Amino acid sequence: MSYDQFKDRSFANVAQSLEGAIAGVNISTAQGAPGFGPTIKIRGTSSITAGTTPLYVVDGMALENFDLNLINPQDIQSVEILKDAASSAIYGSRGASGVILVTTKLGKAGKPSVNVTYEHGISKVTRKVDMMDAQQWIQYYIDAKNNSWIALDPVNNKATDDNATRTARSGSAARNYLIPPDFISDPGQFGAGTDWQDVMFRTAHTNNLLLSLSGGTDKTSYLFSAGYLDQDAVLIGNFYKRLSLRTNIRQKISDKVTAGLNLSFIGAHDRTDGTTGKSDVVSLGIQSDPIFPEYNENGNLGYLDPNSVWNRFTGYEVQLWNPHSLIDYADKLNKNYNTLANLYLEYQPIKDLTLKGTLNGNLNNINYSSYWTSGQGYGYSFVLPASGSVRNFTAFNWLSELIATYNKTIGDHNFGLVAGYSAQKQRYDSTSLNGSEYPNDLVKTINAAGVVTKGPWNGSSEWSLLSMLGRLSYGYKNKYFFNATIRRDGSSRFGPNSKWGLFPSASAAWVISDENFMQNQEFVNNLKLRVSYGKTGNNLIPNYGSVPLLGSSRYSNGTGALNGLGVISLGNSDLEWEKTDQYNIGIDLAMLNNRINITLDAYKSVTKDMLLNVPVPAYTGFVTQLTNIGSMQNVGAEFMISSKNIVSDFKWNTDFNISFNRNKVLKLGGNNAPIEIDEWGYFVTEVGQPLANYKGYIFDGVYNNQAQADASAHYAGAAPGDPIIRDVNNDGAITSADRTILGNSQPDFSAGIVNTVSYKGVEFSFMFQGVFGNEIWNQQTRFSKFWNASRNSYAISNDYWRSEQDPGNGQIFKPYAIYPATTQGKAAYIQGYSNYWMEDGTFVRLKNIRLSYTIPAKITARTPFRNARVYVNAENVYVWSDYVGFDPQNSTYSVGANTVAALPGQNGGNVSNPPGLMLGADYGAYPIPTTVTFGVKMDF
Amino acid sequence: MKISYIRYCLSFLIVAFVASGCGKSFLELAPLSNSNVNNFFKTKADFNLAVNSAYSTLYTIYAPKGSMSFTGELMSDNTTVSILAISGSFTIVDQQAFSDYSIASTNTGAYNFWVDHYTSLYQPNIILQKLGEVDLGDVAYESMIEGEMRFLRALYYFNLVQLFGDVPLVTTPVQGSAAYDIGRSPKAEVYAQIINDLQFAGTNLPNPGSEPAKGRATKGAAKTLLGKVYLTMGDKSSAATILQEVYTAYNVNTYDLLPSFQSLWGNTTAFKNTKESIFEIQYLGGVGNPYNSLWTAFQPFENRVFLGQAGGMNMVTEDLYDEYEAGDARRDISFYTGYTKDGVFVPAKFNKKWVDLTAPLDGAQQAANNNFMILRYADLLLLLTEATDDAQYMNKVRARAGLPLFGTPGYPSAKYPTLELALEHERRMEFALEFQRWFDLKRTGRAVAVLSAKGKDVNQNKLLLPIPQYAIDQNPNLKPQNPGY
Repeated sequence: MSYDQFKDRSFANVAQSLEGAIAGVNISTAQGAPGFGPTIKIRGTSSITAGTTPLYVVDGMALENFDLNLINPQDIQSVEILKDAASSAIYGSRGASGVILVTTKLGKAGKPSVNVTYEHGISKVTRKVDMMDAQQWIQYYIDAKNNSWIALDPVNNKATDDNATRTARSGSAARNYLIPPDFISDPGQFGAGTDWQDVMFRTAHTNNLLLSLSGGTDKTSYLFSAGYLDQDAVLIGNFYKRLSLRTNIRQKISDKVTAGLNLSFIGAHDRTDGTTGKSDVVSLGIQSDPIFPEYNENGNLGYLDPNSVWNRFTGYEVQLWNPHSLIDYADKLNKNYNTLANLYLEYQPIKDLTLKGTLNGNLNNINYSSYWTSGQGYGYSFVLPASGSVRNFTAFNWLSELIATYNKTIGDHNFGLVAGYSAQKQRYDSTSLNGSEYPNDLVKTINAAGVVTKGPWNGSSEWSLLSMLGRLSYGYKNKYFFNATIRRDGSSRFGPNSKWGLFPSASAAWVISDENFMQNQEFVNNLKLRVSYGKTGNNLIPNYGSVPLLGSSRYSNGTGALNGLGVISLGNSDLEWEKTDQYNIGIDLAMLNNRINITLDAYKSVTKDMLLNVPVPAYTGFVTQLTNIGSMQNVGAEFMISSKNIVSDFKWNTDFNISFNRNKVLKLGGNNAPIEIDEWGYFVTEVGQPLANYKGYIFDGVYNNQAQADASAHYAGAAPGDPIIRDVNNDGAITSADRTILGNSQPDFSAGIVNTVSYKGVEFSFMFQGVFGNEIWNQQTRFSKFWNASRNSYAISNDYWRSEQDPGNGQIFKPYAIYPATTQGKAAYIQGYSNYWMEDGTFVRLKNIRLSYTIPAKITARTPFRNARVYVNAENVYVWSDYVGFDPQNSTYSVGANTVAALPGQNGGNVSNPPGLMLGADYGAYPIPTTVTFGVKMDF
Repeated sequence: MKISYIRYCLSFLIVAFVASGCGKSFLELAPLSNSNVNNFFKTKADFNLAVNSAYSTLYTIYAPKGSMSFTGELMSDNTTVSILAISGSFTIVDQQAFSDYSIASTNTGAYNFWVDHYTSLYQPNIILQKLGEVDLGDVAYESMIEGEMRFLRALYYFNLVQLFGDVPLVTTPVQGSAAYDIGRSPKAEVYAQIINDLQFAGTNLPNPGSEPAKGRATKGAAKTLLGKVYLTMGDKSSAATILQEVYTAYNVNTYDLLPSFQSLWGNTTAFKNTKESIFEIQYLGGVGNPYNSLWTAFQPFENRVFLGQAGGMNMVTEDLYDEYEAGDARRDISFYTGYTKDGVFVPAKFNKKWVDLTAPLDGAQQAANNNFMILRYADLLLLLTEATDDAQYMNKVRARAGLPLFGTPGYPSAKYPTLELALEHERRMEFALEFQRWFDLKRTGRAVAVLSAKGKDVNQNKLLLPIPQYAIDQNPNLKPQNPGY
């Protein structure tokens, strides 16, 4: 992927420009907040516990869990994604999840070139979640309360009973049955109510200014670049601002010696709410009841205001998390500073031999602070005292490398030899503090807090890696190619008994079209057969996983706290990297005068010694032990075709890619016990199945009458309006044994197609991207599809069963405000995990439309500009999907590098509930807006 | 040219040196922010820290939503759980199952309680193992620590054997494949280990008052627990002997009933570690401290008066509330009968024993200061009556509650004609919400009769929890499952 392919795609993160464009590389933006890095998975998932983010190599500097936002896309010359093991094996113990090579630009010899780019973008949430309006919700409320009231005592209780009767008969539980009198006497006063999404989201503007100066002589080449991105988020009060500066210099010092330095600084300030799921503003805003106004008559935010007429609702069950209370009444700022420097010296003592020494350093500092004003303007669910927090995170990473390269051609024989040695070390330091008991809201920094307690993730952590590598390549007549690499890695993360690992690879290619028997045809221009094998590793395991650790647990003597230390992990002195063996076979074909290019690849990879928190019997004192034991397989195929449909002044190109991956778990720990994660969903990983299946009951609609319920296998208490649960095991009863595999987040296939037409200076292209056959686990179901304590619900829930004559769409069961004690048994089944929580993840997205116009040279010749272009670019134009949430690609669980949330894993220790097992679950994620950008680029 | 050639060579050497000069130790990195086992368990200071950590496991076992609460109260006729939200892995249904005896072998709670006990047992076990490996040069200290750890181990195994019946008996840390060879030990063997541990503790622990810190186990605690163990095994005479020993050795000066029941319950230091306390879990109120969360958890779920959210755990049944005799001071000291919300009184019976109205908020939790007594003098007295059939001990408890003594005319003997029934009644009244009731009914063999009369679907089999299916799947040697599951 070179710069030209993403130049007009206005993203802060270059990886987002690659979404859907490369077969076998699944890049998905799980949340649409500016600066939120995408999740990248290359050729399926090869690990459960260890990280699955690819290794980033920026100008030779290897960076784990790197955040690509920290490179200005403008400065990138090319992005190369290594997906097959033969090419990534040279990265050894870090290559198993793929490698992304980023190379930054350098000027060319000649006249200096000045480039100015200005972009203005407009973003908007175009795919809102369809929620009930006030009138629908009030009816839903009344029915839910009445259904429960009648269920409490079917003989005596009636829907017409007033609140006094209800209080008298139900005592402490009355709150569950009371209905605000306004809802009955005058529901019309609330109108359609407030659409909280209109309160939360706005049309947001982005300005992006980029300047660069590049050029060179025969001895020097240089690039100076600066960029300033000022992006407002679609969520009110949120923004992302980034300043990026870079200088790349390469100087030929003598005929034999060249030196260079690439230096970049990025400073990003952002405020980002709404990305942490259920308790964050996007999710809470949607759950808020539509009857309440954005502001009450006092200018405050909610019914908890004791002086407001809305205060009459405090006696009833209502819900309001006014988005303003979480945004306007909170101060939050995240600051991320990154400096990356690559210094190198190349020396050519004799012809054909190059020695290159490099010294790289990366310094990343993240500082986050927040303050939540006391009382929150009465707009939150409670009136809470002020609270604040500060987090600081510093990572320093250095890499030094020495590489010798020897290339020699003797007759028809080409030889290449590479040998190298590198050392790398990283240290993290983090601090986090929480403040409470602020005297007032005047000073919002943590020093004003009356009580400061330590937050999560304090402390320091290190890792180091020593590597030796070699590569041998041989070509004969440019027809036969052979390549072999080997790398030896030693890592501090591995146990004392397993410090070093060896990672070999081999590949061969045969250019069949150059053989004599192919010479007498013109149909095929190029035909190349490739085979490869490689072994790679995954070292993204906790830094100190091999050591049994002690953790603090305090006790008391009744008057003071006592410090205590207890053993908190078993340790494992044999702990090592995960190993993936990958086999690849591929064909490259060019035909019809190179107008059609086809690449076809098939691969199989098997990961062994997969790191698992293996469940161990509890009487060992622990529930799990980190062990290299599991095994998993990915088999897949990728097909890309690029066609020049019309070649003339008018050009039309089509690029299409499709990829398939099948994932299967081959082996797990002790007795192959399945790995079960129960986190608002039941994610089960078992042998013979793909990773992390969703399990649960199957709902087959709603019982329309009692006779229907009685006639079928049913759970106790099944009544008209309750869901029909399928008797999966056909034993005539509904039990927990009827839970079955419902689906999986992994698609059957994904595809992308780009059409580009151009005529003279005008270029027009559009891109579709699709993912097919996956399922979404919608954790938000518990709030928005079920009746849950008077929260607002999806509009689809309004089609619920009301009576035998009015059964709705036959799929939505009737709401109960509460399942009274006698019916709680059936609540387990109704509210248990089922396909009611799951949705079809298939979608097709009109991902991008781009139109650009290059001003003809005739005109520019008369101006100071050498080149000038204007363009319009629209991203995420439309999505075809049945998903009820914002976006079918939404997930609250991402494995992308992101702000401070990524810290616990890096600090070692916390590897429970790996987010990789919950990808595809949406717990109230941030919408992905549609963005239209206008840009102009000028070269002087 | 020659000179610069050398210079470049030198530069390369420097780079190479940086790269390779680090040597072998480059890869040997010790944790910076955690201590690790390799350099611990060497000194008395280390063991003091480890012992505190071992005691902190009491927080887990006696947590408001922990093993003892769910069984001791919820499986009895004392309480119900009322939660409205669809909850996490320990689901509404799985919680409710304890109340209505529909516990499946896959019940998350049953598994949690199994795990809680064994992970807690690891701490005394590893300390005992390490204690055997070092010489701290202080025999008295070593045997005291050994006694304390064996006391904790005995307490936890006593819980386990009552909850699950035959259980794996692990007294030294096991790992790896050896863990899969372990099966369930017969109850008798488990009890033998408990008795052995408690006898050692009863001999080697300090006398009450001489313990190194409040809350640490003493001779009195070990012997009282041993008495309870004997009673549970049906050995009344051994129980009588050991309980008498405590009663005589520590009477009045060390242990006694406090004059009023009210003075047992409060949120200040004065209410902690009183004369009535025999073994007590130490909490400390305040954010950042190891605080008590009973107060939060035992409030009505939809309360929102004392704080934002509450646990809905152990809501008091009318049956319990109504069993108090007229004039029993304990009833109104033990329970709230409702709360006022928006000026409206909402009736709801719930805990008033562990109340801390001034506890600061830690998120939605109230960081309460109250301690929790596992063994107290009233328990000793009632156990004594149970072991000796002598009502005089029980009558001390009744006297304090301001009630007519058993055997006197005012006693409601129509309702509680026998001493057994009188004891059953008395224990229920005295220890309401203290995680005793279900174990009392089991011990006296009355559980099925009493609980099924109150509409619980219970039989003898259901008085043991199922061995968690997950544990059996991991290690089939744990088969057979308890009957009835």
